[in-house]
Amino acid sequence: MAVTEAALRTGADHAALAAVVARSTPTTLAGERAFPVVPALSTLLPGGLRRGSVVSVDGGPGATSLALALAVAASAEGSWVAVAGAPSIGLAAALDLGLVAERLLLVPSTATGAGPGPATVLAALVDAVDVVLVGHRLAPADARRLLPRARERGAVVIGLPGRWPLAADARLSLTGPSWEAPSCRLSARRVTVVASGRGAAARERRASVWLPAADGTIQSAALAELGARAPLPPALVHRERGEGA
Amino acid sequence: MTAAGSTRTLVVWVADWPVMAAGIGPEEPAVVVHANRVVACSAAARADGVRRGLRRREAQACCPAAVLLAADADRDARAFEPVAAGVEAVAPRVEVVRPGTLAVPSRGPSRYFGGDEEAADRVRGAAAAALGGRAHVGVGVADGLVSALLAARTPTIDVVPPGGSAAWLAPQSIDNLARAMPEVAVLELVGLLKRLGLRTFGAVASLPAADLAGRFGPLGATVSRLARGLDEHPLRPRPIPPELVVAAELDPPAEQVEQVAFLARALAVELGERLSVRGLVCTRIAIEVETEHGETLSRLWRHEGGLGAAQLADRARWQLYGWLQAGVGAPTVGITLLRLAPDQVVPDEGRQLGFWGGVRAADERAARGVARLQGLLGPDAVLVPQRRGGRGPGDQAGLVPAHAVTLGSPVAALDANRPWPGRLPAPTPVLVHGKAPVATLVDSADQPVRVTGRGLLTGEPASVAVAGSPPVAVVTWCGPWPVDERWWDTAARRRRARLQVALADGTAHLLALESGRWTVEATYD
Repeated sequence: MAVTEAALRTGADHAALAAVVARSTPTTLAGERAFPVVPALSTLLPGGLRRGSVVSVDGGPGATSLALALAVAASAEGSWVAVAGAPSIGLAAALDLGLVAERLLLVPSTATGAGPGPATVLAALVDAVDVVLVGHRLAPADARRLLPRARERGAVVIGLPGRWPLAADARLSLTGPSWEAPSCRLSARRVTVVASGRGAAARERRASVWLPAADGTIQSAALAELGARAPLPPALVHRERGEGA
Repeated sequence: MTAAGSTRTLVVWVADWPVMAAGIGPEEPAVVVHANRVVACSAAARADGVRRGLRRREAQACCPAAVLLAADADRDARAFEPVAAGVEAVAPRVEVVRPGTLAVPSRGPSRYFGGDEEAADRVRGAAAAALGGRAHVGVGVADGLVSALLAARTPTIDVVPPGGSAAWLAPQSIDNLARAMPEVAVLELVGLLKRLGLRTFGAVASLPAADLAGRFGPLGATVSRLARGLDEHPLRPRPIPPELVVAAELDPPAEQVEQVAFLARALAVELGERLSVRGLVCTRIAIEVETEHGETLSRLWRHEGGLGAAQLADRARWQLYGWLQAGVGAPTVGITLLRLAPDQVVPDEGRQLGFWGGVRAADERAARGVARLQGLLGPDAVLVPQRRGGRGPGDQAGLVPAHAVTLGSPVAALDANRPWPGRLPAPTPVLVHGKAPVATLVDSADQPVRVTGRGLLTGEPASVAVAGSPPVAVVTWCGPWPVDERWWDTAARRRRARLQVALADGTAHLLALESGRWTVEATYD
């Protein structure tokens, strides 16, 4: 009898405590639950990069650029970005894309076999920064262990082309790349990005982007198409010229 | 008698230490540069008009014969250990303030040698002997560290009479404070004080200390104390809690300095955490090692503003290198114990965060994570990018270790604004292959394509096979761009031609032809 009473009282206490917790937990605005993405990719990931989610990029021409471009807007807004296990990333290109140099960390590789493995390194990075680009060949078990940690810390994991061993929350792939080479140099590549995924991202979305555009950044190519079909007001046409290649 | 609130201190200052540390005497012209600016020069170079803060080119114009040296804090600290050991032989409790400057509490030596002048002479003799008589050694005895530092730098005076420091400092320019404490925060405050019309120590000392503290925070209070010839921190004798001492045993004993330095970093981080939990900051630390033969080596390092974990680790590493390179008194066998013992702790007065920006939570979290990764993987494992000048795809940005820069603030670009004729046009490739795969480039007649001496292709590229995979047709190609780099240097000379190819499968590569062989230098992925 006494036991039941105690149990009941504990239950009531728990409920009261839960109420207090609910009252005192700061409200998280929707904007703070996700990191922004650049305008060219916003139609593919309408909610931005949700904190704690995984985005993977399928291999193919332009995939590495796309993975880096995903982190650009978050980096510009003050988040730290880390690239792990990808020693051959062209840094100049990454900075040209718009990643902020002073908030970019690189952990090219675990030096020797003796040191801690990629799982430990990635766990430490997820603690430290907001966006982690994974270039290691991760074992599925390690990847599974990384996920709750990323969710708890509110970090986004982006798998570099072909490197994320599990299903991702959002998956991007590229089709139909074509290069522009007007003045005897490769100046811009136009490519169609297809996004699919789970939950809110389940519906397949497509966007045509310049990756890279002539200045090395990522730009939307859809505006130009739109302009070709229906004439736009002069002000918009002017902007479109600025943004198209 | 010493003024209340200050410790009678003897300071040894070696002129132009960064030059001396590189093994160059004052009579030879030499300039130490960091980030293209002169940070130190030898007496000979100074006679030719070289000054601190000049650009490298200006310094070379003043003194074309000068040897140019890169600034190296490690080298400065390593080379200073024999001087510290030499002074320690005549005056105990040597504290290294920074490489080139050390301080000793002067009460004991002065009584032993029969006066401040005699003690100063003995210490000067010991330091000069350790340096082989090559350098100018300045010695100063005064109340408080800053007065003693300035007395050491003033050739006309060695000993400021006890209780006379405030009067001696009063007419001096407040700029001297920045010379004695070369720290960014102090420099900024000194500049501000000068703009406010407070140009001498006396003018600053005449203001109420509470007002300076109220307006400028903890640093204002410190400057007020220093201007009045007192120690930078009020003396609050408090026992150091024994749990603040961190130590690690090495089993098996470490023979390599790197091994111990690595451990020192982990210990420094641990000590930093223990200090911050108590709201303390360490202003003086004893670095101690024990060896298998029972030798014990110990050295004190001090820092006015308090030592953070990274600074503690740096000092431990410097000290270990210093001991190892010292001829006499170097450890004879492996090191079995490393101990970091705070010798003086003061309450951490905290930092006022900037109203706009400044250190943010995200930056602190990243800094902690970086420290953790450095502990896991070694100090050079975490890197940050730096823009550089160059022609090739991998030359336009490079990596610097995160511990070498201030995290969260931009790293200065290296030669990025020079013209670099023949540089690769934008956009830059996203993958730069460290080990470039070999490519086979053929024309429509299956003949290998080469580049002539005039920089023209011998045929129209039709297909490319990368590293033995089946050939893929070329859709577009651009180039070639011949580059002849470092033609004046027989060893580092590289002559090659670059060619962009876009292939039928959508990939685009940057090919390079060098010594008749095409390789995939980079990929536009």
